[in-house]
Amino acid sequence: MNIVAIEALTKDYSLDSTTVHALRGVDLNIKSGELLSVMGPSGSGKTTLLNIIGCVDTPTSGKVEVAGTDIGSLKDKELTDLRLRKIGFIFQTFNLIPVLNTLENVEFPLLLMKEQSATDIRRKAKDLLHAVGLGDHLHHRPAELSGGQRQRVAIARALVTEPALVLADEPTANLDSATGASILDLMVQMNQSLGTTFLFSTHDPDVQKYAQRIVKIHDGLIQDD
Amino acid sequence: MLALKIAWRNIFRHRGKSLVIGSILALGALLLTLGNSVISGMEKGLEKSVVESFTGDIILVSQDQIDDNVILDMAGKPLEDIFRYDTIKPYLENSGLFTGFVPAGKDFVMALNEHGGTPGFAFLLGINFADWQKVFPDNLELLQGQWPQSTGLIIPSGSLEILYTTMGTWFSPPHSELDSSFMPKDAKENYGNLRVQNDIVFMGHSATNTATDIRMTVDAVVKYKALNVIWGHFILTDINSYRQSMGYFNQDEEQEEISAENLALLSFDSDNLDALFGNDMDFEEMFSQESVSPEKEEFVPKTEEAGVYQMIFTRIKPEINRQAAMDSLNRLFAQEDIPLRPLTWQTASGVIGSMSILIKASLNVFVAFLFFVAIIIIVNTLSMAALERTSEIGMMRAVGARKGFIARMFMLETGVLAFVFGNLGVLLGFIVVLVIRSLNITTDNDMLQLFFGGDTFNPTFGLADLLLTYAQLAAVTILAALYPINIARKITPLDAISRE
Ligand SMILES: Nc1ncnc2c1ncn2[C@@H]1O[C@H](COP(=O)(O)OP(=O)(O)O)[C@@H](O)[C@H]1O
Ligand SMILES: [Mg+2]
Repeated sequence: MNIVAIEALTKDYSLDSTTVHALRGVDLNIKSGELLSVMGPSGSGKTTLLNIIGCVDTPTSGKVEVAGTDIGSLKDKELTDLRLRKIGFIFQTFNLIPVLNTLENVEFPLLLMKEQSATDIRRKAKDLLHAVGLGDHLHHRPAELSGGQRQRVAIARALVTEPALVLADEPTANLDSATGASILDLMVQMNQSLGTTFLFSTHDPDVQKYAQRIVKIHDGLIQDD
Repeated sequence: MLALKIAWRNIFRHRGKSLVIGSILALGALLLTLGNSVISGMEKGLEKSVVESFTGDIILVSQDQIDDNVILDMAGKPLEDIFRYDTIKPYLENSGLFTGFVPAGKDFVMALNEHGGTPGFAFLLGINFADWQKVFPDNLELLQGQWPQSTGLIIPSGSLEILYTTMGTWFSPPHSELDSSFMPKDAKENYGNLRVQNDIVFMGHSATNTATDIRMTVDAVVKYKALNVIWGHFILTDINSYRQSMGYFNQDEEQEEISAENLALLSFDSDNLDALFGNDMDFEEMFSQESVSPEKEEFVPKTEEAGVYQMIFTRIKPEINRQAAMDSLNRLFAQEDIPLRPLTWQTASGVIGSMSILIKASLNVFVAFLFFVAIIIIVNTLSMAALERTSEIGMMRAVGARKGFIARMFMLETGVLAFVFGNLGVLLGFIVVLVIRSLNITTDNDMLQLFFGGDTFNPTFGLADLLLTYAQLAAVTILAALYPINIARKITPLDAISRE
């Protein structure tokens, strides 16, 4: 089953009088349970592609289906709900709400959903934090955590809603290589244990050994799948 | 609640901004409390020093009286007459509306200057002293002389000052020492050489268009305990002397009793009068504009109360609403064909009414200005706060928070600040009000007296004022938060991501 189905996707940005063609006709299908890496040099269109798949940006043309929903026709509220329920995000930096502690940050999306009891939510968040190795940092605020620990919290938060797809745009770009490796290891581990679909981008060729499938992107076009 | 938790913690995380907004809100609340207390104190005070001192709750005038401004209007025509009060009185008594009422004659009189200078002017109120004191007990303070019995003349210090300024004569009761404590400055300076007179010649306009006059001895100098600067314009005399000076008939008289002295004065013809007044004003014309009612000339009353009056002052029972009383009176007068018209004290005391409205309006302008400044500062600070948190807000939106959640978060943050600091400001304002009241600040200045609503500055802060202040604070908070909240709502996940 395809979690993501993209056909002839283009994205143009108009900058002053010129138009930047960030994506120039991308076709891509992502199957459930895949761990896929989008690789390409800086400016090749990785972020643009992930933003559109993550429903935070809209295509210029083409068809994008995420978890069975065509996102082209959705309004802001529907896009927001789709992000909440079907997608987990891991950003490069600024992943967490500064005034909430580790546990509360992980609980955040479930509290927005308002579907489970407070105790269920708490238990789930705790379990996930133990799984990502932060069982003894439950009550730390983000400012008290290292960069790697914050990314682990972000992974736990992305997974807590049991999303169809977790998106990570260069998740290790701001980490040293050892920490970065451990984060990628964790993603692989979560992909295997939970079966969650992961899509991450990177410009670092060394990272490809973590991915099952690598999609190379260059100048807004997919070169190699 | 999630949004409240985040809002609450953000208040502490961004202490500086919270304190700025909080201080503005506290200061605003304090000033609002003070402003509202002054306005409310002024209203209550004015009511006390106007209603209880002089006007009563409702003033009854003749049906034919067109102009409503019957108390302080200097330029207008004389008031229309009320006839046969003796037949009206039982209806008023049986209405069950009043704790008391008293009829009065009221007109503008000229005080002749026997020394050949400018004449003086004053309002003359003709009353039955005893009846009037029953309705307005304890509103006068005796400064000099003695209370007259049934006839006599009571001059308030305010009128003495006015008469002195125009006529250059100081009036004083006989056999009593001059008292400089209530004299204007230049009279005080001139103390040794003051031209002092014990009696005063009033000339009213008469029903027959002939000027009549009456010489009266000053019995007492008084001060109105409240708003003396305003009520001090009203010289009090007994109703019989009043009628005599105005050329009305009193009971049991076919003819005015005119003393030899008065006859002497009356014998001036109009040219001589002009010479006497020493200027070009046409007083005869001024005093002859009145429309003459035929009954007035023919009617000779059998009792004092059957004679002519111009107004009836009434006090409404405290449990009866003033507007309800107005309605009942209008109904009663229509039903029984009584030729009277009720006026509320606000309508009847036009100048005071409009002055207090003016002062109130300026206070409200001040409050509105405060609103404006507070809103601008808060809008600025909050908008900055929203923009500073773009990454945080955009990330929340990416993770699945709706616009409404972000708006709620901001509203709660501002709301909590407004609640805490607003109450602090109200509390401080209330303390300031209590301090002001305990200082017992008094004034003789007429503008300040209107502002104070009496002689003493007595701002009041009751439940109604508290609710009003809360409503105003809520309005400030909501208005100030609307724009920044809209900024925050419009932050997209992309705004956060593109910052990375
Ligand atoms: N908001 C934007 N406005 C204008 N141009 C943009 C915008 N975002 C991206 N681009 C351009 O689109 C191209 C692809 O950018 P991006 O997707 O960020 O690449 P990558 O993430 O691979 O570095 C680049 O040339 C970039 O300059
Ligand atoms: Mg990028």
